[in-house]
Amino acid sequence: MKALIIIAAVIAGLLLLYAIQPRYRKRFVKNLLSQVKYLIPRYFT
Amino acid sequence: MSDYNAIVIGAGCGGLTAGALLAHQGRKVLVIEQGERVGGCCSTFEHKGYKIDLGASIIEDPDVIDWAFQRMGTTFKKEVDLIPVDPAFSAILNDGTKITYPISLEETADAIRAIAPEDVKGWEKYSKKMAGFLDAALKGFFVTPASNLGEVVRLFAKTPSLLKYNSMFFSSYEGVIRKYFKNERIIESLSFHSFYAGLPPALLPGHFAMIPYSEHAGIYYSKGGMIGIPRGLQKCGERKGMKVRLKSPVKKILIEKGRAMGVMLEDGTEITSDLVISNINSKKMYLDLVGEEHIPWMARKGLKSYTYSMATPMLYLCLNYTPPLTDHHTLMTVPMGKMDDYWENFYKKGIFPAEQFGILSWTTKSDPSLAPKGHHVIAVTLAPGPYKLQGTSWDREKPALIENIIKFLSKKYLPGLEKHVVHADLSTPVDFEKRLRSPEGAIYALRQDLPHSLMFRPSARSRFIKGLYLVGASTHPGGGVPTVTASGMIAADLIEKYER
Repeated sequence: MKALIIIAAVIAGLLLLYAIQPRYRKRFVKNLLSQVKYLIPRYFT
Repeated sequence: MSDYNAIVIGAGCGGLTAGALLAHQGRKVLVIEQGERVGGCCSTFEHKGYKIDLGASIIEDPDVIDWAFQRMGTTFKKEVDLIPVDPAFSAILNDGTKITYPISLEETADAIRAIAPEDVKGWEKYSKKMAGFLDAALKGFFVTPASNLGEVVRLFAKTPSLLKYNSMFFSSYEGVIRKYFKNERIIESLSFHSFYAGLPPALLPGHFAMIPYSEHAGIYYSKGGMIGIPRGLQKCGERKGMKVRLKSPVKKILIEKGRAMGVMLEDGTEITSDLVISNINSKKMYLDLVGEEHIPWMARKGLKSYTYSMATPMLYLCLNYTPPLTDHHTLMTVPMGKMDDYWENFYKKGIFPAEQFGILSWTTKSDPSLAPKGHHVIAVTLAPGPYKLQGTSWDREKPALIENIIKFLSKKYLPGLEKHVVHADLSTPVDFEKRLRSPEGAIYALRQDLPHSLMFRPSARSRFIKGLYLVGASTHPGGGVPTVTASGMIAADLIEKYER
C-alpha cells in the first residue's frame, strides 16, 4: 500500500512538473515519448 | 572475380568522399549516379547563362571537409576555389528590424548590443559554451561510428569532454537559445537555424544550437557554384582511378547468401562488386533496393518506423537588377514560437502559405560570374514544405505560388523584385523527389531528433547484409554537407578495418 502511494505521488509530481513547463518544452518531451516504442527496433537497423 | 572492389550508389558528397577515400586505399571503385550531375543537394545547374544552386548555398565547418581532402594528400582550399562569406548572415525580423551577424564574435557582440544590451553577456557565454562543444563534437561525434551501444560508449570515451554538454542533448534547440538570450528579437534572429537540421526550434535537440555559433568559425561559398565541392572530391578520386557513371539509376542491390554482390541498373545491366556503399536514403534503399525478404523482422519494423525529414521548397530567381540586399545570406524570420506553430498548424496539416519565412541566398553577391553582367541570382529557401498539400497538389499550385511568393517578397523584403524577374522556378518536395530520388523530397533523409540519432539511425556498417555500408544523411552523423562528408570518412575507416 505504502509503495502504491509513493508511486502515485511520484507520477502526480511528474505530471504537475510537466503541466507547468512552457509549451516548447512540452512539445519536445511529447515528441520523444511518442517514439520510445520504436527505439528497440531502430537499434537493429 | 567482381567487376569492382566497391560500388557507391549515389554521387552526393558522402558517396564521393567514401569513393575517393576507397580509391586512395587502392580499391577499384565505381560511383553510380542516377542524375545528370554530381553533388545531390550540394549541386549547381545552369539556366540560360545563370548558374543556380540546387540546395546548399554555403559551407559551414570547413575543417571536416578539409580532413577528407587531407586524407587524400591535399587540402580543401587546393581542390576547391573557396570564397569567404562575411557577414555570416543578416536577419530581417518580422517587425522589419535588421540584425547583421559578422563573422567576428566581438563585432557580433556590438551588433547585439545595439538591439539588446542585456543579451551581450548571454552571447559571450553562449559563444564560449558552443566553442567548446563544437571542438569536442568535430573531433569525436562527427568522425566516429555510433552504430551500437559499444560504439557510442567508445565515442564518449574518445572525447570525454562531450559529456560536459550532455544536458544539451536532452533539451531542445529553443530551450538552449532561450537559456542564453532573453530579448525576443535576438531569439527570433537565431530561430530559423533550427531548420538547417530539419526541425522547428521546439523539436530539434539542443546540441544543434551550436549551428548559429559554428557560422562564426568561418563560412565559404564555392566559386562557380556549390557543385565545386563534390567536383573537388570527384577529381581526387579520379586521380586514383575512381570512375563516375551518371544517368544510371540502380534498381536492385544484388544479395547472395546475406552478402551484397553488386547492383542491377534499371536497364537490366548487372555490375558485380565486393562491396556496396549506399549514398541514398537508407529506408528506401533497404525496403526497395535490398528487399524486405533480406531484412530481419525487427530491423524491418525499425526501418518502417523512421520518419522522413522535412522537404525544403526552393524558389530560384534570375534577376536583371541588383537586389536591395547587403549579404550573401539574409534570413527572413518570424518569432520563434510562430515557427513552432507553423510546424503544427501548416506543415503537418499540408498547408503551404505564400507568406513565407526562410533564407534569401544571394549567390551572385559572392560570385558575380554566376550570372550575365548586371544580372543576379537569388535562391530562396522557403519554409518546410509538406509532401502532400491538403486538397490540392504541388503541380497544380506551382504557378500561383511562384506569383504570390514573388509578390510577397517584393512587398516585404525585395522592393522592385516583381519587375525584374527574368526567370523563376519553384522546386517543390515532389520535384526534389523526382530529381534526387529522395523520398518525399526529404532533404536530410530521416528526421534528426534523438530517436533518429546515433545508434537509433541506420548503421554505417549494415547489421544484416555483409559488405553493405551506408553513407550520407540517413546514417550517423546526419544531414548537411560537412556531416555527410564525415559519414564518408567513417565508412572508409570501417571498410579499411573490416574488409581488408
